[in-house]
Amino acid sequence: MVENRPWLSFITHLVLIVGVVIVVFPVYLAFVASTHGSGDFLRGLVPLLPGPYLIENYGRMLTEGISTAGAPPLWIMLSNSLIIAIIIAVGKIVISLLSAYAIVFFKFPLRMVAFWIIFITLMLPVEVRIIPTFAVVANLGLLNSYVGLTLPLIASATATFLFRQFFLTIPDELMEAARVDGAGPMKFFRDILLPLSRTNIAALFVILFIYGWVQYLWPLLVTTESRYYTVVMGIKRLAATADTEPLWHLVMASVILAMLPPVLVVIFMQRLFVKGLVETEK
Amino acid sequence: MATINLVDLKKSYGNVPAVKGVNLSVADGELIVLVGPSGCGKSTLLRMVAGLESVTSGHIEIAGRDVVKAEPAERDIAMVFQNYALYPHMTVRGNLEYGLKNRGTPRTEIDRRVNEAADILEIGQLLDRKPRQLSGGQRQRVAMGRAIVREPAAFLFDEPLSNLDAKLRVQMRVEIRKLQRRLKTTSLYVTHDQLEAMTLADRLVVMNGGLVEQIGTPTEVYDHPATLFVAGFIGSPPMNLIPTSALGTDGANGLPAGTDIVGVRPDALLIQRPEGPCIALEATADLLEPIGGESHLHVKLEGSGQAIILSVPGRPDIAESAHLTIYARPSELHPFSSQTGRRTDTVAKS
Repeated sequence: MVENRPWLSFITHLVLIVGVVIVVFPVYLAFVASTHGSGDFLRGLVPLLPGPYLIENYGRMLTEGISTAGAPPLWIMLSNSLIIAIIIAVGKIVISLLSAYAIVFFKFPLRMVAFWIIFITLMLPVEVRIIPTFAVVANLGLLNSYVGLTLPLIASATATFLFRQFFLTIPDELMEAARVDGAGPMKFFRDILLPLSRTNIAALFVILFIYGWVQYLWPLLVTTESRYYTVVMGIKRLAATADTEPLWHLVMASVILAMLPPVLVVIFMQRLFVKGLVETEK
Repeated sequence: MATINLVDLKKSYGNVPAVKGVNLSVADGELIVLVGPSGCGKSTLLRMVAGLESVTSGHIEIAGRDVVKAEPAERDIAMVFQNYALYPHMTVRGNLEYGLKNRGTPRTEIDRRVNEAADILEIGQLLDRKPRQLSGGQRQRVAMGRAIVREPAAFLFDEPLSNLDAKLRVQMRVEIRKLQRRLKTTSLYVTHDQLEAMTLADRLVVMNGGLVEQIGTPTEVYDHPATLFVAGFIGSPPMNLIPTSALGTDGANGLPAGTDIVGVRPDALLIQRPEGPCIALEATADLLEPIGGESHLHVKLEGSGQAIILSVPGRPDIAESAHLTIYARPSELHPFSSQTGRRTDTVAKS
C-alpha cells in the first residue's frame, strides 16, 4: 500500500518510534545499570549514561558470582541454560519430526487416535501437570540432572502439529517418485523430507530455544545443587536477598548476559530461515 | 524392453470397484494409451502397474515376472507424473541421479547415463539448476530424463502433458512419440485427451467405468467403434448418435437386426448429394460455426427434432433456420443396439 500522505506517514512513524522507545528503554536502563558501581542506583537519581564499571561488573559475575545469594558464577548457569535450551529444542524437533512423519505418511491402526492424543497434550503444559511430573522425575532419580531438567519438557504437540501441517502440503507424487526411485521410508525422510523442512526446522528452533531458555518453574523445582542452576532462576536468586539491598548493578549485568544468547540465536537463525523462505518458493 | 501382461486385474476401494477386471497384453516396445473420462479407472490401472496402488485381485506381469507383490523400485519401471514430482531441493542433475544412486550404480555409469539423457532431451545446460528455475516444458523434460536414465523395462506416463499450455503440449507430444520410437521402450500412457491418445498410440485402450470398452489401433477405434461409448468418446466433434426412428423407413432399411441407434461421423454427413446409394434426411439449420478451414453446422432433423452436427468444408452460405437435405452413404453408418451398447454388425476387432 503506497500512499502519498505526509501527515499519515508522520503519525505512523511516531507510533512506531514511541513503541520502540517503550520496548527498548528498560533494556537500555538495565545496560546502564550494569556499568555503574554498587551504590549508584540507590541514590534516587537514576543515571542515564553508562558508567565506568562495565568490565569489572561483568567479569565478577561471570567468574565469581555472588556467593551470599547462593548463586554460582554466571558462566556455569549460562552454560547450563545453553545445554538445556539446546537439548530441549533439538529433542522437540527430532521427536516431532518423526511423529509427524509417522502420522502423515504411514497408515497404521489408530493413526488418528494417536494424532489426537498428541494434540490433546497441548492442553497439558508443564505448569498443569507439574506435581505428577515432579513425582515421576523424582522417583526415577532424575532430580539434579540434565535428563530431569529436559525430558519432561521435550514432548511437543505444537511442533508435531506444525510439521504435520507442513508434511500435508507435500504432494503425494513426490513420495511416489521417491518410491519408484528406490528410496525406502527412512531414505525418503532423510533425502527429501528433511531438506524440504529446513526452513520450518530453523523457525521452530528459534522458538523452542527461547522456550527452553526462559524455563523458570521447572528448573526451580528439580534442581537443588547449584551446579545445575539455570540463569533465569539464578537471576531470581540474585535479586531476592534477605537483609540487604539487591546488588542491582550485578543483577543487571546478569540480565544483560542472560539476554544475549537468545538474541544471537534469533539474529543468526533469522538469516538462515529468511534465506530458506526465499529459496523454497514453489 | 519387456512385455506387460495384465490378467483380470481388479481394484476396489472398500466396496467401491474402481477397476473391474482388465485384461491387456502390451507387446515389447509398444506404446499403449489408456484413454477415458475422469474416474474411468485409467490412472488407477497405471498406478497398479507402477506398484503405487495395491491390487485387489488379478495379476501383473512385467517382462514375464509376476510383480503384484513387488515394491515399485523392484518392478524395473519408470514413471512420469502429471505434476512432474521433481525433488525441489535437488539440482536437475541430482534429480536424474537419485534413482541410480539408490540402486548403487557406479559413478562412471551414472555420469554416462545422465549425460546421454541430457543430450537426448537437450537439457545439458540446465543440469546445475534447481527445478524452480525451469519453465514448465523444461521441467517436463527433466521428468522424462529421470525416467530415461533408469533404462527401465517400461515407461509409465500419468497425464504428463496436462499441466502444459496448448502449444507446448503439441510440441512435447511429438517429442514423446519420437523418443519412444527411438528408445523402443514399452510404454503405458494415460490421458483423458482423445487427440493426444489418437496421435501417440500404437494401440488405444478406451476405458469407461472401470472396464475396457475397446482395444485397437487408433484407426480401428475411430473407424469401427465397438460400443456406443467409444463412438461418442473418440472423435471431435463427437459422432452423431441418431435413433433409427428418426431416420425414416428409407434410412432404416438394410440395418442389422437389433439396431436402434445409428452413429454417423460429422464429416460423413454431406450437404450435397454424393454419387451412388445414399440416404437423405430433411433438416433445419440451427447454427453455423466457422472454425477456419471447415465449419460445424448444427441442424435439427425435421419431424423428430434430433440435433445433429455436420462438419462441412469451407464456409457454406447457409442461413439460420434454412431448410436443407443432408446425405449419408450407407457404408458410413455405424449400427448400434442401445440395449447392449454394442455394434450390431460384424464384431469389431479387439
